[in-house]
Amino acid sequence: MRTLLKNGRILDPSQDLDEVSSLLLEDDQIVGYGREFENVEVDETYDCTGMWICPGLVDPHVHLREPGGEEKETIITGTQAAAAGGYTTICCMPNTNPPLDSPALIDFILDRAASPEAGGVFVAPVGALTKGMKGEELADLAAMKKAGIIAASDEQFPIQNALVMSQAMEFCVQLDLPIMAHCEDTNLTRGGSMNEGSISAMLGLRGIPRSAEEIAIVRNCLLSLHTGCQLHIMRVSTWGAVEMIRQAKFLGAPVTCEICPMHFTFIEDHVGEFDTRFKILPPLRTQVDIDLIVQALADGTIDCIASDHSPHASHEVDVPFEEAPFGSAQLESAVGVTLTMLTHKGVLSPLETINKLSTKPAEILRLEAGTLKPGETPVAQICVIDPDCEWTFDRHKTFSKSKNTPFDGMNLKGKTMLTFSGSEIYRDALFPDSRYTLS
Amino acid sequence: MSRNLLGIRHLDKNQIEDLLSLSADFKLRVIEGRPVPKLEKLVVGMLFFENSTRTRVSFEQAAYYLGLKTANFSASSSSMSKGETLKDTILTLRYERLNALVMRHRMSGTPTLAARHFGGPVINAGDGQHEHPTQALGDALTIIERKGDLAGKIVAIVGDVDHSRVARSNAWLLSKMGAEVRFVGPRTLIPPYSALLPATVHYDLATGIADADVVIALRLQKERMSEGLLSSIGEYASMYQINKETLKYASKGCLVMHPGPLNRGVEVDDIAADGEQSAITSQIENGVFVRMASFYWAFSQNLELETN
Repeated sequence: MRTLLKNGRILDPSQDLDEVSSLLLEDDQIVGYGREFENVEVDETYDCTGMWICPGLVDPHVHLREPGGEEKETIITGTQAAAAGGYTTICCMPNTNPPLDSPALIDFILDRAASPEAGGVFVAPVGALTKGMKGEELADLAAMKKAGIIAASDEQFPIQNALVMSQAMEFCVQLDLPIMAHCEDTNLTRGGSMNEGSISAMLGLRGIPRSAEEIAIVRNCLLSLHTGCQLHIMRVSTWGAVEMIRQAKFLGAPVTCEICPMHFTFIEDHVGEFDTRFKILPPLRTQVDIDLIVQALADGTIDCIASDHSPHASHEVDVPFEEAPFGSAQLESAVGVTLTMLTHKGVLSPLETINKLSTKPAEILRLEAGTLKPGETPVAQICVIDPDCEWTFDRHKTFSKSKNTPFDGMNLKGKTMLTFSGSEIYRDALFPDSRYTLS
Repeated sequence: MSRNLLGIRHLDKNQIEDLLSLSADFKLRVIEGRPVPKLEKLVVGMLFFENSTRTRVSFEQAAYYLGLKTANFSASSSSMSKGETLKDTILTLRYERLNALVMRHRMSGTPTLAARHFGGPVINAGDGQHEHPTQALGDALTIIERKGDLAGKIVAIVGDVDHSRVARSNAWLLSKMGAEVRFVGPRTLIPPYSALLPATVHYDLATGIADADVVIALRLQKERMSEGLLSSIGEYASMYQINKETLKYASKGCLVMHPGPLNRGVEVDDIAADGEQSAITSQIENGVFVRMASFYWAFSQNLELETN
């Protein structure tokens, strides 16, 4: 079975490749790219004229909610949403119920992800850093690494005790395991529900100060510098956080960081009249933060874009603002939002866009992903994006179980059209039939 | 046509004037024993998710004068204690054909959520640290009665502004009506980013209440000490108490107001609370009439009282 992705703009940051050509697949593997493949006999052809042919996207930060949160999302619905979003590899977070803190639970995740109903994408589990994510005793990290975790994190329950974090880092250096850290000093957060600023003051909501994030980032960066532990900082939201990370990198700390589409799209004002769709952790900040975040994306201080797909059931979010959970469904909007807010505005080149959505996160977390080089991924992992497709995000047309998203009704430019994960193919309804030929 | 009263922030000057003149009209009718227009056959759900005696009784009394029937709802004895969501509770009351809701909740923005699902008027009786619109209306009516007008008056709101829905509603109302509003209190009890709130900020009591026509002292909750926001009640009283001595900084005849319940000897002393400058009892009395006006305003766009 030979498949030709014909006449698209091939964007592969792993080869510094940006040229219009065609990509040939044989069964579930990439053969290579080149004009010469347009003349070989193939079984099917996808005409990708005007579209981007990229490595399948890699999401370092996804909540699949299983086990324990099946009313929000399951591994099956979450991986289907990922495929529809263009992702072929997603890292799933350990804050499930029970938390992913033992090898048996890692086996369970990998088993479910491999089931035939799942979206066919690779799920790379992130294990809990401490038992029960309580921030006290280390979880069975060595055994979980054997079972397949690619990093460790206590996610939304960040370790408050610096000694525990320091010891966790020492241990992870030995295991050669990256730590992913949501950075928050929870004493400063005090149960706040939005950015501490003029909007929270007006609405009478307890604010989350920017220092809560920045202090934890400084602490974790210094511990990383002194232990040598690889640290990936999740979802930065303030200009101060970016400056701290810039400084840590300058000092030589093995630190990387990610940003989520919410944080370069919305500001605290979007909370409006207590709209829980805009409740996220860390909270939406201000335009000054976005302006500096956008610069940091362009200059590489912010390494990659994560969706922070945090699905919740509708009944959980239609509640008083302070009671609502943080986060929303993101997998199926991330590409459209990134292209609309960054690429089409000239912040990121198309190649750099794909780097931030695929090659770089794969490199940070050492995943066999993020490249179109033949044989470097277990199976072909490809995403075809129409950068000029104008569409309106409709939460009722998504695969995710969660219909809670601030992007509902938003006009976006840029959409995932095809996702190949080996022989598993997702084809978007907007990909025209006329572009597909079966020989 | 019906409308919500979720906060003063959402009202324009004309709407505030309508509410205040309705309130004054209701007050005269009640005091003079003249007939009051009735809102009979209407049922109001009283949803007090947070303890309140004063405000609840005030709304009950206002409803009684208008011929409204009230249906009491308490969170602890309802199905909400069995895990029902607030949305489902609101929908239940909607389909039980209640005509309006009066709602008090410890979380900011909850009446906004209720209004989205109820489909009839929702009157905010205090939500978290957000708004307490009927308290502000009662305070404004009191100031107008005693000082003639709101425009050009200096009103100092003293104390725990950050945790106060009364301070926010009063700031919106008074500034929209042309008064100068000042927040006065320690740095730990003033919102750290108050730029969107229509008030100037003063940390020193003497300058904060200088030449003030009205001083509104706010209640100080004991837990502010355990939260580390203040050292002691004594220190707070020595810096911010409204008393005979500190009132010398304000203009002569400055009104002393307080939303209650009072901590005598903390934010006010007995002389300030009970003296001739005190308007605290008028605030309580006027609370009933502004709540009558709020019901009437919420139910009817036609603001001319029928003369029957």
